[in-house]
Amino acid sequence: MPARNSGSLAVPAGAGALAPRRPATRRPLPAAGTGEAESGLKRAHFDDWRLPFWLLAPQLFILLLFFFIPSVRALLQAFQLTDPFGATTQWVGLQNFERLFRSGVYWSSVQVTLAFTLAQNILTLSAALVLAFATNHIARGRGAYRTILLLPYAIAPAIAGIMLAFLFNPRVGPVAHLLQGLGLDWDPNRNSGHALALIVMAASWNHICYNYIFLVAALLSVPQSILESAYLDGAGPIQRFLRISLPMIAPTLFFLVVINFVYGLFETFAIVDATTRGGPAGATSILVYKVYQDGFVTLDLGSSAAQSVVLMALALALTFAQFRFIERRVNYSV
Amino acid sequence: MRPIHAVLAGVGALVLAGLSPARAATEIEFWHAMSGALGERVEEIVRKFNDSQKDYVVKAIAKGSYDEVLNGTIAAYRAKRQPEIVQSNERSFLTMVNSGAIIPTAELMAQQGYKVDWSNFIKPVVSYYAVDGKLQAMPFNSSTPILFYNRDHFKAAGFDKPGATWQELEPQLDAIKAKGVSKCAMVLPGDYEWSFLENYSAVNDIPYATKRNGMDGLDTSFVFNKGKLVGQVERMKRLVGSGVMQIAGQGVIPVQLFTSGECSTIIASTAAHAAVVAAARFEWSAAELPYEQGVSPKNSVIGGAALWTLKGHTPEKYKAVAAFYNFLAQTDTQVWWHQATGYVPVTVAAYEAAKAQGYYDKNPTRALAVLQLMRGTPSDNSLGFRIGNSNQINVAIMEEVSAAFLGRKPVQQALDEAVNRGNEALRRYEQLNAGKK
Repeated sequence: MPARNSGSLAVPAGAGALAPRRPATRRPLPAAGTGEAESGLKRAHFDDWRLPFWLLAPQLFILLLFFFIPSVRALLQAFQLTDPFGATTQWVGLQNFERLFRSGVYWSSVQVTLAFTLAQNILTLSAALVLAFATNHIARGRGAYRTILLLPYAIAPAIAGIMLAFLFNPRVGPVAHLLQGLGLDWDPNRNSGHALALIVMAASWNHICYNYIFLVAALLSVPQSILESAYLDGAGPIQRFLRISLPMIAPTLFFLVVINFVYGLFETFAIVDATTRGGPAGATSILVYKVYQDGFVTLDLGSSAAQSVVLMALALALTFAQFRFIERRVNYSV
Repeated sequence: MRPIHAVLAGVGALVLAGLSPARAATEIEFWHAMSGALGERVEEIVRKFNDSQKDYVVKAIAKGSYDEVLNGTIAAYRAKRQPEIVQSNERSFLTMVNSGAIIPTAELMAQQGYKVDWSNFIKPVVSYYAVDGKLQAMPFNSSTPILFYNRDHFKAAGFDKPGATWQELEPQLDAIKAKGVSKCAMVLPGDYEWSFLENYSAVNDIPYATKRNGMDGLDTSFVFNKGKLVGQVERMKRLVGSGVMQIAGQGVIPVQLFTSGECSTIIASTAAHAAVVAAARFEWSAAELPYEQGVSPKNSVIGGAALWTLKGHTPEKYKAVAAFYNFLAQTDTQVWWHQATGYVPVTVAAYEAAKAQGYYDKNPTRALAVLQLMRGTPSDNSLGFRIGNSNQINVAIMEEVSAAFLGRKPVQQALDEAVNRGNEALRRYEQLNAGKK
């Protein structure tokens, strides 16, 4: 795990970044920290290591239990061939990884994952942007509008997935019948493109609200004075949005892009399981679903562990990229 | 050391039992994968056992699907909290046998002093679950696929009943669709690798894997990428491509499309009887699995699951387990279970008893599965399947075969890849379990 850059309070490092945090968009912070500034800050608050240790302990304990111990076990298991019941275990070196990287199925899963996360990201962010933009221009019933938009977030991904699978089922689903009525030969059970579209929709629908909350908050924080002066200069609402608001909420946008990638890569297992089960013929078997399927359905523990190690590396790389390249270019002091 | 421990524990248990005024019944846990109507039947059979005597209480606990039960059992076993009995499906046979976690049923029954006449059990059932003639698990819910059909649809299309061979059946299905009787002449079952591939190879007497489908050793390899099975997948591709065979898809259970009257036929486990009887509001019937023209059909192979006894419990508990198995093997129990669920009776005696009651005269479709399982003498190709890493292989084969019938890959290429992926998993299993059976 890379050492945490002190320049930001936005996102915790490592796969801990999976738990989304709100970026500190409004708080001006010292630029990427020098060691001295940091130790000065620490000294000002704590004289002794004990208090901070105990304050951190609960969180560290949870991390240890649910992150570090499983990670270490996965790391070990990735180099083993083992019987599901644990009767026999053999150390096989890199055999699991070799098998993984030689497997055409795995690479097609990588491709599907790329297509899925990209499409999901674009759809989620653009839909949430439109909705957030609309929020500021709705005069009446804004509360109801927001509540309705936030509701999907309270729905468990599995339920969302099953509902969509049913609505879009080519044999019994009402939406599918509508599409077929429009002349589209809709069938996600046979057409892999349709199946992919279905999980993109399900994943986005479940995650739009999350994006929406952040965007609404960010838009509210755009200084009214700038918007008003643009208005006086004759800029229309769309122009104001594109020229003023959008650049000013760039940090939030970047944050959401990363979070959406993390969500798409790591948290969409339930949606896939409920909507398509990776089918048809593995066409929607994204990486995280494959980890589950190989580990818990087919009991191929070695391969599943190797895949999680690859995913872990990916999570680290994403976090690293986020800190090294994106955070530096984004101005957080809106 | 172990036997001594066991004896001591046994003595301790006896002393305790003698000391306590009212002897408490021994309670054992039974994890199963039956849901819905079948789940209720499991509760019922357990209640029957509990009511039949005072010494033992079986607690049936539903733990989800077969995969989930197996996963739960593995986790529980590793944490040393395993149940005494667990239900696991037929394809997990080698996983269970080589787990080092089970007590073979034949051994358990002999130890506990029960004399079970295993020769009375239906052959394809015993041959599936036995190693060197010794039963490893207690056959519980055994099924085999048959062809359910909507009689109204067949009549409307001008047919009396489905043809016995694929060559007769296919034009009938085409006609049902062409004449507009139904948009869905057949629905693809979720477990088609079992009904359309494995059972197809057994019935038509063609090898699926070498070494008698794995019965003779772990160094078996798949060979289903040539001959008739290629034709069978071509057939599935044609049926799916022309819309004659529909895919139910996620969120919809294929049998429901048959019972709702939307699809005219389904090749499904005989256990689907429960659902069909409960929901079908039309005249339906069933027939034996279709086979290739010119073949004299062999017996089909079983599906379903068996009960496995897990290690790590006190002798007192195993007495209870044996008593429960003994109860299950009784002819009365088997007849009741067979009639209440649609699963086949596992003993010939139970079949004869049901026949003597006149049950099959009233319910002719209930006899189909037993007759199909007992048809002729099992050949090397119809004894059953003994495949290691079967869960992995299953997923790989279904992925490739569905890619073939969806038209995403040429059939031959898909089957070659299925064989390669399957063989790779077989070799890995051999590597891990070198020296075992």
